[in-house]
Amino acid sequence: MDRTKHNDIIRHAAAMADKASFVADDFAQALFPQTEVVFNDRMLSNARQYLRGIIGEIEQRICRIATQELGVTQESLVKIGQGEEGQSFLLLEDSGLLKTTEIVQHLFTKTQRSELAARLLQKISQEDLEATLTRHLDHGDTTIAEAAMGLLVAQSKTTGAAGEIAANLADLSPEILYAFAWPITAALVRVAGSSGLQLQQATERLFASHDESAGVARKAERLARLLAQSTTEKDPTPHPMRDGLSLFIARLARQSGLSSDQIIAFTSEPNMARLVVVLRAADFPTQEALSIFAALDDGDHILTAATYGETDRDRSLTLVSNWTSPPVYQSAERILSAGFSGDQGK
Amino acid sequence: MTTSGKLSQPVRGQVDVDGLLLSADPLLMRLHLRSGGYEGGPLAVPELAEMCRLSKRLGMNLSRPVQASDDDCQIDMWVETQIVSPGQEDQIGLAIIDWKEHPRDDNGHADLARERDFDRLEGKGSIRTDEALRIIAQEMPGNAANAAETIGQSLLDIFDVIPPSANARLLEAVAERQPIRNQRMREKNGAQRLFVLQGHPLVDKAGIFSGYRFAATPDDTAVGGKNSKVAGGKLISDSLFGLQLGPALRQPLGKIIANAETISSKLEGPLRGDYASYAKDIASAGRHLLDLVNDLSDLEAIERPQFTVAADDIDLVDLAHRAAGLLSVKAADHQIRIDLPDEGDVLPARGEFRRSLQILVNLIGNAIRYSPDGSVIKLKVSAEQGFSRISVTDQGDGIASEDHDRIFQKFERLGRSGDGGSGLGLFISRRLANAMGGSLVVESMIDQGSTFTLALPEQKPA
Repeated sequence: MDRTKHNDIIRHAAAMADKASFVADDFAQALFPQTEVVFNDRMLSNARQYLRGIIGEIEQRICRIATQELGVTQESLVKIGQGEEGQSFLLLEDSGLLKTTEIVQHLFTKTQRSELAARLLQKISQEDLEATLTRHLDHGDTTIAEAAMGLLVAQSKTTGAAGEIAANLADLSPEILYAFAWPITAALVRVAGSSGLQLQQATERLFASHDESAGVARKAERLARLLAQSTTEKDPTPHPMRDGLSLFIARLARQSGLSSDQIIAFTSEPNMARLVVVLRAADFPTQEALSIFAALDDGDHILTAATYGETDRDRSLTLVSNWTSPPVYQSAERILSAGFSGDQGK
Repeated sequence: MTTSGKLSQPVRGQVDVDGLLLSADPLLMRLHLRSGGYEGGPLAVPELAEMCRLSKRLGMNLSRPVQASDDDCQIDMWVETQIVSPGQEDQIGLAIIDWKEHPRDDNGHADLARERDFDRLEGKGSIRTDEALRIIAQEMPGNAANAAETIGQSLLDIFDVIPPSANARLLEAVAERQPIRNQRMREKNGAQRLFVLQGHPLVDKAGIFSGYRFAATPDDTAVGGKNSKVAGGKLISDSLFGLQLGPALRQPLGKIIANAETISSKLEGPLRGDYASYAKDIASAGRHLLDLVNDLSDLEAIERPQFTVAADDIDLVDLAHRAAGLLSVKAADHQIRIDLPDEGDVLPARGEFRRSLQILVNLIGNAIRYSPDGSVIKLKVSAEQGFSRISVTDQGDGIASEDHDRIFQKFERLGRSGDGGSGLGLFISRRLANAMGGSLVVESMIDQGSTFTLALPEQKPA
């Protein structure tokens, strides 16, 4: 055994000892999940890959601004700015700084959205999916036509390779970029061993250049609003095969008063029960609802006309109305009512 | 008013680090003013102010949907913030790229109730109909007993349309959902009184026409005509203000006030600052004149020997809330809080609804006028010795004890001037209170505020 390998084992063993107390936690989470949502290996792999990618993108942009605009010359930062692999990810992963609810929720939504896109691509080709938006390009209302063009362009920039989630900074909401960028900046300061002031300034410049309006989610949301407000042409019921995934989710979110992230989360749950309730509350025709369910399902489940028809609309409306409450309120209400009923749809 | 949602250019504004609105295009300025803001003051649209704060905290440009509302409508906007580049640091630019207005759907009910109270205060009746002109609700002056009988009947079954207008013209206006102006109608039954109706089409939450709200003003010109015949061709009747000058002056004064307010708030575009101030002065002088006309009409009415008041069953707590509601904007202008009895409480009394409301509006109006900004006006109710009482207490300068009687005298201003008062309000209020079998008294000391107490007879058990 050579000396380097010997040192590696020593280092590894020491690291394992530091983390040993968390083994039981990890095993407990796998053994006793608190939800019925199943995270398959592909989702976990995609999430990790996306996380690495987005952290790499952010640290590269910060380093580029620091070196090119603020005159920072540290070699390690220059290299990261030039595209070499960064070192923030490992530091942040070990420190637990990535395990904030905000970041993990974002990862989950991104991953589930990617799952839905993959499911949809089993039923319709990428070309046909992209063509869905082109029907709005000739809309009588030029504002709608322009918004559709904007969404089309934004989507084309973020389409990753099949099965991958594109790590695109423009698609991060300002709140998420903020949550990622400051820990990354702190990690870069540690990696470079330099004063943090210039890196902080670089991060602030990154923020100032971030444009939320360029992201797919906001563009889809605006187009959904304009379509809903349009008095010249009434668009048919939202459908992922007719609207594409982003616009469909935005339209359904607008119609139901829920957020896009909630709609995506509903599709991850067994039998997509909450999605069905949303469709029923919005009074989607039976055939449309069944077709939407089939388009978004992973192939194991079936929604029948009888089941959909028997879902009580008034109760669905009440439930959807409950789900539009602020998340903190819903969470508090759930905790307070725990033990009284397991069938409140919460 | 832009309602379509399409803007040829974004509506822009600029907000500084403290949230002060530095500049704004007319649409944004109108919304800011209607939300209680003032020029150069903090951005008063909470949703936009919050977005500016978030943009500043994150240091990023945001692009989000925003829903705001003013007195008339809800506005769906798409708003983009722009952190202004170095050199003009600490400023946030707002660009509103979509602007769509909808009629308000939240407290339309409360607004209608407030409008009805204004009508009742002016002695007008109000009628609410469905889309087929069937009466849903009716409150006519001096006709409370018959109100229930008319519900469900067509407006045209209760009233005759007076020529030269005819049913066809009225129905044409209804079919086109047009406002109905100055339509003279005569009651078919009972006293066959004449009214002039002003109708406003109503639109429900879904944007669908749902009927009309009519304000019915007793048509005094016909009565005036009879009087002048009796007077043998006298040019000016005994009822100079009530029947002749009052109605003739109110309409042009109303137009002067409305136009001057439009100019002063710069709703039609930018205007030199001193010109806007002149317009404010014109509106203020117009309101003063209108108040004077109303006071003189009332003075004339209460001094007639045949003056009587109705004895309605009223609730002083309800009246307190209505009167405070009518003056809520004026109080808010001076950051004055009106402390009211609990809405669930009840204090029954006997008195004419409209006249009791008039007294309370006068008392609260005076309290606002003579209280320091940011103070509190308290309304309390009590019952003792066969009387129901409501008191209005302010934190103003107070009144010397030797002046307690003088302030209830005609045209007595205690040397004050320029505050919009006519010196008739308290005189009229006390005479009205006495006419209803009650009283109006004051307790006050210099520098310790004033308390005016209206006492009305208790309701006798049935």
